[in-house]
Amino acid sequence: MGAQGDFLQLLHEHGYKLDFFPSHASGVTDPNLSLITRGTTVLAMKYGDGVLVAGDRRATAGNTVMYDRTDKVLELDRYCVMAIAGVPATAFEMARILEHSFKYFRRSQLQDLSFEGKLRALSNLLKENVPAALAGTGAVAPVFAGFDPQQGCGKIYFYDILGAEFEGVEHAVSGSGSPTIRGILHYLNRWGDRPLATLDEEQAIIIVLRLLTSAAEFDSATGGVNYEANLYPIVKRITDKGVQNISSEQLKDLFATQVAHYV
Amino acid sequence: MYEEPYRWVEAVGNRRQYLDDQLRQGSPVVALSYAEGTVLLTFSKGTPKLYEIYDRIGLAGMGHPADLEKLRFTLLDMAHMEGFQRSPGDVTGSRLVKYGLAPVIKQAFEEIFRAPFIIKILLAELGAKPEQDHFLTVDYDGAFEETPGWAVLGATPEIQRHMMAYVKSQIPQPPPTLQVSVETALQTWAIGSLHQTQEELKPDEPNKSGPATTVQNDPAFDETKILDHLRDTLSEKTLECAVLERNAPGSSKYRSLSPEETRSLLPTVLQEVR
Repeated sequence: MGAQGDFLQLLHEHGYKLDFFPSHASGVTDPNLSLITRGTTVLAMKYGDGVLVAGDRRATAGNTVMYDRTDKVLELDRYCVMAIAGVPATAFEMARILEHSFKYFRRSQLQDLSFEGKLRALSNLLKENVPAALAGTGAVAPVFAGFDPQQGCGKIYFYDILGAEFEGVEHAVSGSGSPTIRGILHYLNRWGDRPLATLDEEQAIIIVLRLLTSAAEFDSATGGVNYEANLYPIVKRITDKGVQNISSEQLKDLFATQVAHYV
Repeated sequence: MYEEPYRWVEAVGNRRQYLDDQLRQGSPVVALSYAEGTVLLTFSKGTPKLYEIYDRIGLAGMGHPADLEKLRFTLLDMAHMEGFQRSPGDVTGSRLVKYGLAPVIKQAFEEIFRAPFIIKILLAELGAKPEQDHFLTVDYDGAFEETPGWAVLGATPEIQRHMMAYVKSQIPQPPPTLQVSVETALQTWAIGSLHQTQEELKPDEPNKSGPATTVQNDPAFDETKILDHLRDTLSEKTLECAVLERNAPGSSKYRSLSPEETRSLLPTVLQEVR
């Protein structure tokens, strides 16, 4: 019985294993591994009201585009999201476990899990997933972002595939397209017109759209905007009011005026 | 000594008496549908009696707090495993009660060498529309009932009948606002509680086989009496109120109301009570 409010323990008691790929030939890399579906560019950035988190929509396996409507910014509860890069099967499963864990804790212990507790929960899952991560079948490197209601501020963390946790003081990126935009973020924050954390929402969204477009330019595994299909990246804002989606109409508008035709 | 069947029947009969005695002091519970959700209401003496079980399911209990905690965890574990392994939509009050709660309570009740659960439980399940709201009650012997619209818990079946008759006479169509529902729930609670006091005064003459109760022939239905009783209770106990809100953002619809919010929903004559 999960009297401690630990959902992962409850899952284990029912025989569940996160590391669901049966055999790991440690140290041997299977040439077919490149055909496993992987996620691509996600980023989180602090701005005036809180944190913006965004991700492109493409999922690839080797050179094949598997899907162009992936939602990689997953809402875990009212105040936090996990943006995923890596093997989606494992990443979506982790998000589902976390979502249930936070609810289970709140409902059983009659208090919200602290922000630090949520970070630890994600670390624990990644740690449990290490064999699959090393075997190449289940590597996930997520970005965790949220609003800490106790401290009244937005926070960003990013993880390596082994579960090490790092705080992104101003921003964090992950995925194959991230090297392209990490440098841009650093440059904008240091030498741009204003530090990123002082931008208003619209300015911040424009930057996020331009960054994802740049990532798609240089990384084949990152999807760009698709006008015909009316497909835009997923962008969410996290403020003291919780997690909210930026509507695709607003993204469409800003994209048309500030990204596509901007000289 | 319990090998003989009639001894067993006698022992189970004794248990009923014991459990009725234990539950005699319990505070009634009322749950109602309103336009934007469902509301759960009771008075407690410090230990909470209303809880969140799953995205659209709330729990209210009457009885021993340790038993309530134990069964609450059984429900939480079952609901969360089910919601995780299948889908949140597959977690329904009906399945939780029929396959989780009721068999456990019944078994404990009938195994006469084990302690029974001193408990009555109510589950409220929020539907997409008021007519889809669903309420379930489970008695200490595992017997359960399902009702649309409302449900109540009272110390005895007789008290529950009085409460049900009152709710039935008060529910307007279309479904009311939260404020109106809270008022109805408070009055229903008071009717249950007043009947309970009456039964306590004359426990030896339980009126169990009278004609069906109606509001008209219910002596407890006297507005002044109800108001006085609510006023007294408000100054002595904690009014607990929780809602499942149809239009709440996100997947979790349960919210317990803060004391300030609860107070603001009370009828004006009761808002001043401290």
